[in-house]
Amino acid sequence: MTRPAIEKCLLIGLGTFLIATPWIVPVMANKFWVSVIAEILIWSIFAASVNLLFGYVGLLSFGQALFFGFGMYGVGIGIDQLHLSFWSAFAFGVGAATVMALITGILAVRLTWHYFAIITIVFSLIFYFLAVRMKSLTGGDDGINFSLPPVFSFGTTRYSLTDQTFQYFFILTIFALCFYLMHLVTRSSLGRAFLAIRENDLRAALIGLNVYALRLTAFVMAGFLAGISGALFAFFGRYASASYMFYHVSGDGVVWAIVGGAGTLFGPVVGTTLFIFIREVVSTHWEHHSLIVGVMAILVVMLAPSGLVGLWKKGLSRIGRRDASIELNPKAKLRSQP
Amino acid sequence: MTEAILRTENLTKKFGGLTAVDNMTLSLASGRLHAIIGPNGAGKTTFFNLVSGILPVTGGKVFFRGRDITGLKPHVISRLGIKRTLQIKSIFPQMTVAENLWIARQASQGFLHPFRAATRDAATRERVEWTLEQIGMTALAHRAAGTLSYGDVALLEIGMALISDPKLLLLDEPTCGMSPAETERAATKISELAHSLDIVIIEHDMEVVFGIANDIIVMAQGAILARGSPEEISNDDQVREAYLGRPEDEDYVEEAAAHA
Repeated sequence: MTRPAIEKCLLIGLGTFLIATPWIVPVMANKFWVSVIAEILIWSIFAASVNLLFGYVGLLSFGQALFFGFGMYGVGIGIDQLHLSFWSAFAFGVGAATVMALITGILAVRLTWHYFAIITIVFSLIFYFLAVRMKSLTGGDDGINFSLPPVFSFGTTRYSLTDQTFQYFFILTIFALCFYLMHLVTRSSLGRAFLAIRENDLRAALIGLNVYALRLTAFVMAGFLAGISGALFAFFGRYASASYMFYHVSGDGVVWAIVGGAGTLFGPVVGTTLFIFIREVVSTHWEHHSLIVGVMAILVVMLAPSGLVGLWKKGLSRIGRRDASIELNPKAKLRSQP
Repeated sequence: MTEAILRTENLTKKFGGLTAVDNMTLSLASGRLHAIIGPNGAGKTTFFNLVSGILPVTGGKVFFRGRDITGLKPHVISRLGIKRTLQIKSIFPQMTVAENLWIARQASQGFLHPFRAATRDAATRERVEWTLEQIGMTALAHRAAGTLSYGDVALLEIGMALISDPKLLLLDEPTCGMSPAETERAATKISELAHSLDIVIIEHDMEVVFGIANDIIVMAQGAILARGSPEEISNDDQVREAYLGRPEDEDYVEEAAAHA
């Protein structure tokens, strides 16, 4: 079997499992795991946002929680204080995150590497402390609790996220849309331009790519994705809180994306699944479960720098190469910068 | 008289106390292959960096086909049709050879479609295949560019410049690090290309320079020392002195400062 064929089978298998989850998971384990899987889907979108920046454009952001928080607060404030409908609140949250990404991005993407990472942390800290202070608007540390408006209502029939199965499928649909969008972008000319900038930004400028505008585009797109995951998480938990804007949430996203495999479409899903699974299984028995996370993160970064999905791809292409008996001559990596 | 393809007026670049390009006024006519030679630290690469917008100028102006391009961003200058290669070969190592060419072509066209698969662009595909043939790398199309030999990387870099229909090509030591066979192949290719576009080449290999250039500019200490046809230059006393009469240590000091 070739690699695309194996991956296609896996994808169909995963899709079937996710669609069947509300029925088979309660039988196999218990109902609690359905909501864990829903949470994994939401956080995977967040990790995808980190991945778009780091894996495809080469910008390591430690501030994606800022846009997650804006998505969350957009929904919370929209419903609780502005009395918006479900969809308006959703759009308000995602819109707020995207606009925020544009504003911070204009300043942040002028910088690269550690300077970029630092400025993203600074931005998210500023807004974290603002959110904690502005108690009347954000509820401070306590956050905002709200009750859910219906998603659709036709006459007397109402669909609301209070229905567990409906909520699960709502999240799954948004998840599928986001990853389909990522798939399209990464294969497009724009996606290739992103890769070119990641690989060699000087050469990218010399072939005529506007590096600044492209980095900003990626930053806004990543803010959009983080905003969607934040808005979904607000709906999922029926609350918004400043604690989700703290930079350790950003750090989680970075670890998930890198361990899963930065620069691959499904790497963030793999990483997120692994770590949320560990958290759910281990945290009931042992309070220091983050030690496992740390050790695993270090091992993966040292032994498989392209993450678990990268390892998987390498393994598969090795099988494929043995079949075709082609000998490749591994040459030293070229210096890409003068 | 036709408009000069490239013209500079009192072009100056200072790095702190060191003047790398010193008040350089130069006009390059279209339709000729120009070569810039000179000892290390003479300011040749700095001159290219000023023309392509990688470094801001300290003073003076650069005109491309009569248009003032001083202070424009590198990607803007690139889209005007000035393409260049770098002294240390610079490509996208993890992409395949074909993808390297592909993105170079699409970058020059301005709009990057965000959702349509890049591979569905039939016009670009044809163009990539044609360029692969031109640089003789069709067989290597699907190799990761980072695994190529140094000579092939240099050719790919030239291919990436060519695929976007440049008007002016700046080649910075294109044959540096090539085997004699590769050097000959590249030199033939360059003089062939010079029939259809304007080329300025920085080169240390004098056999290549005197073999292909129509017009040679000798730089020393940031200024033009001499200029003329290959015959004139080879008989110039000042040039001989610049190459042979200076202690080498001094050059190294300048070189180090120029790259700091």
